[in-house]
Amino acid sequence: MLVGNETLYTILFYALSLAAVLFALLMVCTKKILRSAAYLMAVLSVTAGYYMLLGQEFMAGVQILVYVGGIVVLFIFAVMLTRSVELDEDKPTLGRRLLALLVSVLLFAFSVVMFSWSELPVLLPGLPGSSSGSAVAEIGRRLLDTGPTGYVIPFEVVSLLLLAALIGSIAVAKYDSSSGGGAR
Amino acid sequence: MSNLLVPGAFHWLVVSSLLFSIGVYGLLTRRNAVGVLMSVELSLNSAALNFVLLNRFFAPGKVDGAIMALFIVTVAAAEAVVGMAIFVALYRQRKSVDVNRMNMMSG
Repeated sequence: MLVGNETLYTILFYALSLAAVLFALLMVCTKKILRSAAYLMAVLSVTAGYYMLLGQEFMAGVQILVYVGGIVVLFIFAVMLTRSVELDEDKPTLGRRLLALLVSVLLFAFSVVMFSWSELPVLLPGLPGSSSGSAVAEIGRRLLDTGPTGYVIPFEVVSLLLLAALIGSIAVAKYDSSSGGGAR
Repeated sequence: MSNLLVPGAFHWLVVSSLLFSIGVYGLLTRRNAVGVLMSVELSLNSAALNFVLLNRFFAPGKVDGAIMALFIVTVAAAEAVVGMAIFVALYRQRKSVDVNRMNMMSG
């Protein structure tokens, strides 16, 4: 854990939260889709900072590698391949925006009320402990553990899922409507 | 510093659900399908954050929450890849990824 100081931890938490919420709001409100992708990248990087603050350095690395380095680049490719830049995101109608605002605010209020009502069995209040030591070694051991608490089967299933997604996306994107018949 | 200000599990959960709600807002207002998928990614990201913070506050010293978050990240990557392939194929056929005009299966 790189932060041992409570004041520093608090300040970092609020600064990161401000940045995350600000970038997320900008992401859903901006009209230009490429800017939206850039703001999404910012939010995901801030989340990596959150993981560092929570003491999960490995998750922070995975977040940067997979999300910021992979998925956001994929989104930018998708934007360019579908010429979404030209599809000007015309303002959503007022009714739709109000409805979406109502739904999301209700969702947020409901979850906050539930959090404040439930008695969270906090084992480790306040400061993140320096208890973890090396979480990376433990994660690796658990992922390949064949025992009752191991995750070797989900691990293999997820690797199959990735292979299926790879082949399936190539098959879907390669389909040429001009040469074959079928679906219009 | 007041003790209420020090971020505990409640503060983290509130931030995470706020990010999720913003993702839902984007999901409901976007017209571009790629924008919709980006909002879904934001929501998935806050779900993974939830797993990690609950691991940290309720089961310190264990790594199960982090492993779940790892799986969420993997599934999100697969979802983004397949979604992008579908959008590219759709654009080739219909010259648009406007979700308001995706009505070929209705009626």
